[in-house]
Amino acid sequence: MPAHLYVHVPFCRLKCSYCDFFSVPVEDAEGVEAVLAGIEEEILEWGRARLSGILDTVYVGGGTPTIIGPGVIRILESVRTSLPARTDGEVTVEANPDSATARLVEALAAAGVTRVSLGVQSFDDEIIGLLGRLHTVEEAHVAARAVCDAGLDLAIDLMCGVPGQSLRSWHCTLEEGIETGAKHVSVYPLALEDGTPLAVAVGAGLVSSPDSDAAADMMLLAEDVLGAAGFERYEVANYAVPGHESRHNTAYWTGESYIGVGPAAHGMLDPETAGASGVRTGVGTDVARVRYSNASDIEEWLQGAGRDVETLSKAEVAREDVMLGLRLARGVGARIVAAAGLEEQLRQLEAEGLVELAGGGVKQRWRTTTRGWLLGNEVFRRVWLPDQ
Amino acid sequence: MTEPRLIRNFSIIAHIDHGKSTLADRVLELTHTVYGRDMKDQVLDTMDIERERGITIKAQAVRVMYDADDGETYQLNLIDTPGHVDFTYEVSRSLQACEGALLVVDAGQGVEAQTVANAQLAMNAHLGVIPLINKIDLPQADAERVSHEIEEALTIPGEEAILTSGKTGAGVRDALEAVVRRVPPPQGDSDAPLRALIFDSYFDPYRGVVGLIRVVDGHIAKGMKLRMMATGVTTEAEEVGVRRPANQPVEGLGVGEVGYLITGLKDPALVRVGDTVTLAKRGSEEPLPGYREVKPMVFTGMFPIDGDQYPDLREALDKLRLNDAALVFEPESSHALGFGFRVGFLGLLHLEVVKERLEREFGLDLLATAPSVEYHVRKTNGETIVVQSPQDMPDVGSIDRIEEPFLRAMILVPPDYVGAVMELAEGRRATFKDMQYLSKTTVELHYDIPLGELIMDFFDQLKSRTRGYASLDYEYIGYRESQLVKLDILLAGKPIDALSFIVHKDKAYYRGKTLSEKLREIIPRQFFEVPIQAAIGGRVIARETVRAKRKDVLAKCYGGDVSRKRKLLEKQKAGKKRMKAVGNVEVPQEAFMAILKVDE
Repeated sequence: MPAHLYVHVPFCRLKCSYCDFFSVPVEDAEGVEAVLAGIEEEILEWGRARLSGILDTVYVGGGTPTIIGPGVIRILESVRTSLPARTDGEVTVEANPDSATARLVEALAAAGVTRVSLGVQSFDDEIIGLLGRLHTVEEAHVAARAVCDAGLDLAIDLMCGVPGQSLRSWHCTLEEGIETGAKHVSVYPLALEDGTPLAVAVGAGLVSSPDSDAAADMMLLAEDVLGAAGFERYEVANYAVPGHESRHNTAYWTGESYIGVGPAAHGMLDPETAGASGVRTGVGTDVARVRYSNASDIEEWLQGAGRDVETLSKAEVAREDVMLGLRLARGVGARIVAAAGLEEQLRQLEAEGLVELAGGGVKQRWRTTTRGWLLGNEVFRRVWLPDQ
Repeated sequence: MTEPRLIRNFSIIAHIDHGKSTLADRVLELTHTVYGRDMKDQVLDTMDIERERGITIKAQAVRVMYDADDGETYQLNLIDTPGHVDFTYEVSRSLQACEGALLVVDAGQGVEAQTVANAQLAMNAHLGVIPLINKIDLPQADAERVSHEIEEALTIPGEEAILTSGKTGAGVRDALEAVVRRVPPPQGDSDAPLRALIFDSYFDPYRGVVGLIRVVDGHIAKGMKLRMMATGVTTEAEEVGVRRPANQPVEGLGVGEVGYLITGLKDPALVRVGDTVTLAKRGSEEPLPGYREVKPMVFTGMFPIDGDQYPDLREALDKLRLNDAALVFEPESSHALGFGFRVGFLGLLHLEVVKERLEREFGLDLLATAPSVEYHVRKTNGETIVVQSPQDMPDVGSIDRIEEPFLRAMILVPPDYVGAVMELAEGRRATFKDMQYLSKTTVELHYDIPLGELIMDFFDQLKSRTRGYASLDYEYIGYRESQLVKLDILLAGKPIDALSFIVHKDKAYYRGKTLSEKLREIIPRQFFEVPIQAAIGGRVIARETVRAKRKDVLAKCYGGDVSRKRKLLEKQKAGKKRMKAVGNVEVPQEAFMAILKVDE
């Protein structure tokens, strides 16, 4: 049974120029109330069905959960009363600097939150502006201090490869990020998603297109600068002071199942739980994993309709596990690779310098090299689609 | 059978886009051959490609009955001809089946190179040529100027021209009256043994090869035993008929009549355009003049992107050949591209049309290599070999000399662009022959030019440098010696045979360098560095590098991203399928055509 829960809060003050996640602007209190009630109801259903395991992690993401302020507390309260949870669980809430006030952060801490992931993105006001974000560098520092002062684990997101971003600006952002007291830093190269305002602006020639060589340099610089400050790169995009890795995200990369609640939320279940919960109604013979996503339309979701369900066969699950495992610094066990029938592919990738074999005997593991991480799509494609 | 005095056989000839097919539509309507509800634009252009591109590829023959002003009803046989220089031989055969021609000239565009070339073909065939100044409904129509051009360029009195509009139908009846009055009736000996000209053929999956014929002497009827004089094959007339425009069987066809002949023969090679049909016994000894084998001039390698489609490609080519005797092909294998075919064409349009039909009608994904011509290589040991593919070119050391096909090109252009044409021609190794002013607005230039240069994007260049005003026609004049070398392209150190090409020695450096630069732009960055080299006989003359891709990763991968990410990888892989993996380098299709876009 799933021991992880993801709750999607689909509200933002304004959508960032690069973002294609599902969110809507907060328009009125009734709209928010309807969604909150729907989330509470969905949590309650999982509780009644007794299909949740003892929760190890809870992650409230979005959107911008903090924009609904006390609403987040209500969600956490509903989880606490409806679902079983470990006492030493990891409870993360995503926040934006402009809505993570000291008062709210303290309230979150009181409601059992252990970790706040702050969407800082940059400590350069020009870059923040280009990304269409509504906060300032100063606000980011204030919010970060509030999180640390409340005794919570601070995680920040930083973005590189932004058009107009210099290596120098990126270096400063990394240094300032370390100074916030964050124990966890995610580094994302900007990806242009179809249909986002930024992609449109690049298409129209108003903004230069992100340069992948510059992004590569910035990703390498991040490894150096964060490494010198005691952060370890434990996943392609994630750095943490040892002991502060995200348990929730690690579950995603290690094939553990999780419940997704809220509009556009994704979940992944074992076939039995999927069947018992009604997520999967059809009967397939070779189904080893069920992934679902709730409707990304609030009305549809409220009516319990429009859920997308994808089933993976045993062989697909094996390949998916290797693909995800290669995102992690610790890599994936050689026996798992062999069982997935991917040894030949990995040998070939090894010859090309994209992966390496570490450890010996039963502890032998395949790991992605730094270069392999930069060219991750090449590695992941050949693992996911091996018959090329 | 109609008496010859009431028969008129004529064709409509024109430069592309001057409105030939639309005019033919009006003729069909005016003579009640096709009624409104069956009327679709360009009735005689039956292939999708013909309709879409507005070109006629296959000749067509349709019989219409026309009630003339003199009170008689005439049998008019309208033979629609291809309007492109690639199909000049078909045009000349169609003209052989006629006594007259309507020469269509666009009232805005005026006389163009193909107008002149087609008019000359018609006049050489002793046809009565009736000029039509068409599209007079257009605002830019200038009948006076065009009439003057007709006089200058075609030596036909301008006042003989009839003003028409295929769009509104204006003047179409006048044109048919002119056909009746000015085109002579067919001459022929009805008592002589049968002689009928095959001026086109097509393949019917149920009936076999259908020949379009014109009876010159004698008559032909169902059940007759026949002989094809060039191929020597004997057969029987299974069905004889006329096209209105659907096939309509008749008892027989007499002197001067035009129709179709079904013999049951399945192999188009036995029913050849230009051949003479006679009786199997006591037939004619004298074939009709002008038959020749159609020789392909331009060759390209065609390879299925997915190697599994090779048998499908063979089958598709076999099928197309049934309708296109000019299409020749033989298997070719390339280290870079695997198994495919070397396909010969009449010209570039023919090539494009065939490739498009293969892809559209047969659902094939094809990669075509840059077109090449047939070289005659005299070796030092006295042997002569024919090379249709650059990869077959022997070692430099064993070559005494190389000859390549030359054309006499005729270019018609407004005087302001003569300089631009000369500049282009000089860059393409063309030799200037002469130049004359046809009118204040049109200059005619003649050049001798290697076919190998003409197929290198020459026509597009000509059009773009003259803002679309120039027109071009050409005829084959023979083989001449040239200083040619084979240029090889190496990717990641390996020679890629499909990228090799033959080039004049003085241009080798320039083309090698620009092609390398072009390839650097076309070949996407791979995750390793790809050197591109151009070499002649092992000596590298240019080098470029596709830098290695350093970053290609979407770093965010959380709950919902996993599925999205997998789908993205699948999409990426599908994208790669459209490329050809040459060794371990992914090469997009356009790379194999890049040489055509190397500008002077």
